Amino acid sequence: MIRIQKEDVGIAALITAAKEPGTGAVVVFDGIVRDDDITEMDLEAYEEVAVPELEKIARAATEQFRLLHVDIVHRIGRLAVGENILVIVVGAGHRAEAYAGSRYIIEEIKKGVPIWKKELTRAGGRWVPGEHGHGAGKPA
Amino acid sequence: MKVKIRFFARFRELLGTDIIAEPSAGTALSGLIREIAGKNQEGYDTIFDEHGAFREFVILMRNGKRVELADAGKVTVADGDEIAIFPPVAGG
Repeated sequence: MIRIQKEDVGIAALITAAKEPGTGAVVVFDGIVRDDDITEMDLEAYEEVAVPELEKIARAATEQFRLLHVDIVHRIGRLAVGENILVIVVGAGHRAEAYAGSRYIIEEIKKGVPIWKKELTRAGGRWVPGEHGHGAGKPA
Repeated sequence: MKVKIRFFARFRELLGTDIIAEPSAGTALSGLIREIAGKNQEGYDTIFDEHGAFREFVILMRNGKRVELADAGKVTVADGDEIAIFPPVAGG
């Protein structure tokens, strides 16, 4: 399941569904709103481009790391400290592929998927700077 | 012709989004964005430098595909286009 949504993510159900035949390891990455002296975080996405980008990353990870299952659920909207932002669930035959596939997916998301985060503070807010100079992939 | 312009994140806060423009035939992408952004000085200054060139971190898309900043003066917009302008991404 590849999705951008406002609602929270039912991680337990995703883990259950990830246990495809042949699965020996499931790795869950759960990105959470950290308490960096903020009150909330506000996320927005260019969904029409972000969802296909996430699907492309999932396909590439599946191929490269022989994954048996991939879920990526990225939340948008206002989230409180401690809430889930991004859940990645990958299943593979062995732990090495599962860990590597999970790591690949989060790093690729940070590089190129058009999603932005604003940290809201009592004094106002600040946009989280991208870790990469550009982003959103390369021209086709 | 009608073209939709979508700004995201900080650019959206300063300039709004889902703006419908009616440029004349042959209008370049850069010219259209310059005109729309010109309605708010802070928004304009966030996207363009003092020489009127795109700041290097700005990302442009036309119908969901990246357009290099260097090409924005050559690419002309067409009826029904969706143009997106945004800062570096920061998801995850």
